[in-house]
Amino acid sequence: MDAQRLKENFAQVAQHGDAVALFFYSDLFVRNPQLRDMFPIGMTQQRDRLLSALGRIVSDVDNLPDVVPFVQQLGRDHRKYGVLAEHFPEVGASLVATLRYFSGEGWTNELAADWEAAYTLVADVMKQAAEADAEQRPSWWKAQVVAHEQRRFDTAVLRVTTDPPLAYAPGQSVSVETPARPRMWRYYSMANAPRPDGTLDFHVRLIDGGPVSPVLVRALKVGDWLRLGPPVGLMTLDQNSGRDILLAGGGTGIAPLKALCEQIATRPDPPRVHLFFGARTADGLYDLADLDKRAAQWPWLTVVPAVSAPDGPGPLLAGDAAARAEQGDLADVIARSGDWSGHDAYVCGSPGMVDATTDRLTRLGLPRERIRFDKYAEA
Amino acid sequence: MTTSDYQAGYDGMDGRLTPAEVQAVTFRRSPLGRRGLDEEQVRAFLAQVEHELVRVLNEKAAMADEVSRLRRNGAQGTPVAPEDAHIQAVRILSRAQQTADQYVADAERYSRELAEDARRHRDEILADAKNRAVHVLEEAHQQAQAAASTVGRSAAPMTGEERHGLEREIAYLRTFADIYRTHLRSYLEALLRNVEEWERSERSNIEAGRADFRT
Repeated sequence: MDAQRLKENFAQVAQHGDAVALFFYSDLFVRNPQLRDMFPIGMTQQRDRLLSALGRIVSDVDNLPDVVPFVQQLGRDHRKYGVLAEHFPEVGASLVATLRYFSGEGWTNELAADWEAAYTLVADVMKQAAEADAEQRPSWWKAQVVAHEQRRFDTAVLRVTTDPPLAYAPGQSVSVETPARPRMWRYYSMANAPRPDGTLDFHVRLIDGGPVSPVLVRALKVGDWLRLGPPVGLMTLDQNSGRDILLAGGGTGIAPLKALCEQIATRPDPPRVHLFFGARTADGLYDLADLDKRAAQWPWLTVVPAVSAPDGPGPLLAGDAAARAEQGDLADVIARSGDWSGHDAYVCGSPGMVDATTDRLTRLGLPRERIRFDKYAEA
Repeated sequence: MTTSDYQAGYDGMDGRLTPAEVQAVTFRRSPLGRRGLDEEQVRAFLAQVEHELVRVLNEKAAMADEVSRLRRNGAQGTPVAPEDAHIQAVRILSRAQQTADQYVADAERYSRELAEDARRHRDEILADAKNRAVHVLEEAHQQAQAAASTVGRSAAPMTGEERHGLEREIAYLRTFADIYRTHLRSYLEALLRNVEEWERSERSNIEAGRADFRT
């Protein structure tokens, strides 16, 4: 297998952009109409994901240690979509047909053989990872809503029980599918450390025009069912660090940080923890009351609320939250609140908030490898 | 090639009749006294046959050209028959998918715009209500302060009439505050009812569109 030849061929094919993934899926569905049902009606995102995953694999095709964990994760992730071993040859055939079509006269038998070999390799790693995963856990979990609290017109906190219990590390998230929007999975972080009763909390912010979040925030009722995918995410607690901890959450980005706090609380000697909770306006600090309760209970925890648009539309009568909240972007508020260079930091929120905060922290002398973060998709 | 005999000419090269042969053919004359064909009519018919033969041969050559052109195209890698049909199907499905994607994107944009409008509207209502509330409070505060300073200034000797006037003003302010508070409360409650109705109608819309869970 000639890795360089594959990369060059893929670079040439990828110039056609979205048309490549469009051709691939159409080819797959023309040959195997029964597979169409495994995908949502709108395929725009699906195509983006396919191209970026392919790009990622091809660019590292000669660097197996880097690409194998990624491919294994892909294999595990695909279980919840109902992907079976017998689907792989069909996908491979369509992939090669697509590459041949867009290669035009540049297509050779050697290229065909290289691609087939590479695909077989990737498919085998995916299948093995999926099989190993299947021995340990289900491909998805059935979850039932046991509590649903609308904290604001666009924010809800929900609690579910799962069958069977779902094991995860605080800071991780799972993909969620609602029957009202089949085959559209969205990631949400658990807002609690694992509990004896196995319940999970999620914080959901409604995204205007989004297909899934409006259902979860405004239509979901106690007793409704959801499907949850396996836990993912690397924003987990560094157990071996003796350093104090800085937590920064924007909006519902506070959820996994609460889970981390609960985990820290189980330690015999918890470090000092500063938790910054940012929102645009004071009524966006939807979880402040609960955070305050925990700060009162745990002497090592300090909660600092911050609002970036204090004059924006807020609650009718400005309460305690507005009066207490620091003003400014979360990164600015954190920067002026102390010296963080000796801390571990965990940052969760919108991509813009996470980038701004991690950039600021590194400029303030906190090494980047001590910052763990999770960016929320905004669609 | 000349043929004096029609029969011999027909059996000539390749057994194929050429336009030239048709032109060159001669017929033996029939013996005197025997009836023969009209010579002019035979010649006219032969001319027609020759013309027709030329046309057929030209057509055949054109067809052969077309076939070899198509064969060449096939050999160059552009899809041939069954492959071609498959590509056509893929293209049709791709176009259908793009149309569906467009519809989904349009619907999402529309819903986003509606939601943004509603959110803006809500913010305006809240900002307006907040302003009014602040205004009401300020007004009451100012009047109370004025009343207090009047009391303070005239602390020393106060006639029964002055005291009576102040007591009236205090009573008035108390009533005024009560009424304003009641107004403000009913205004805010109406506002909340509006928001709740809006939420309810949105919820029932979403539920109406709910699909069955596939397991």
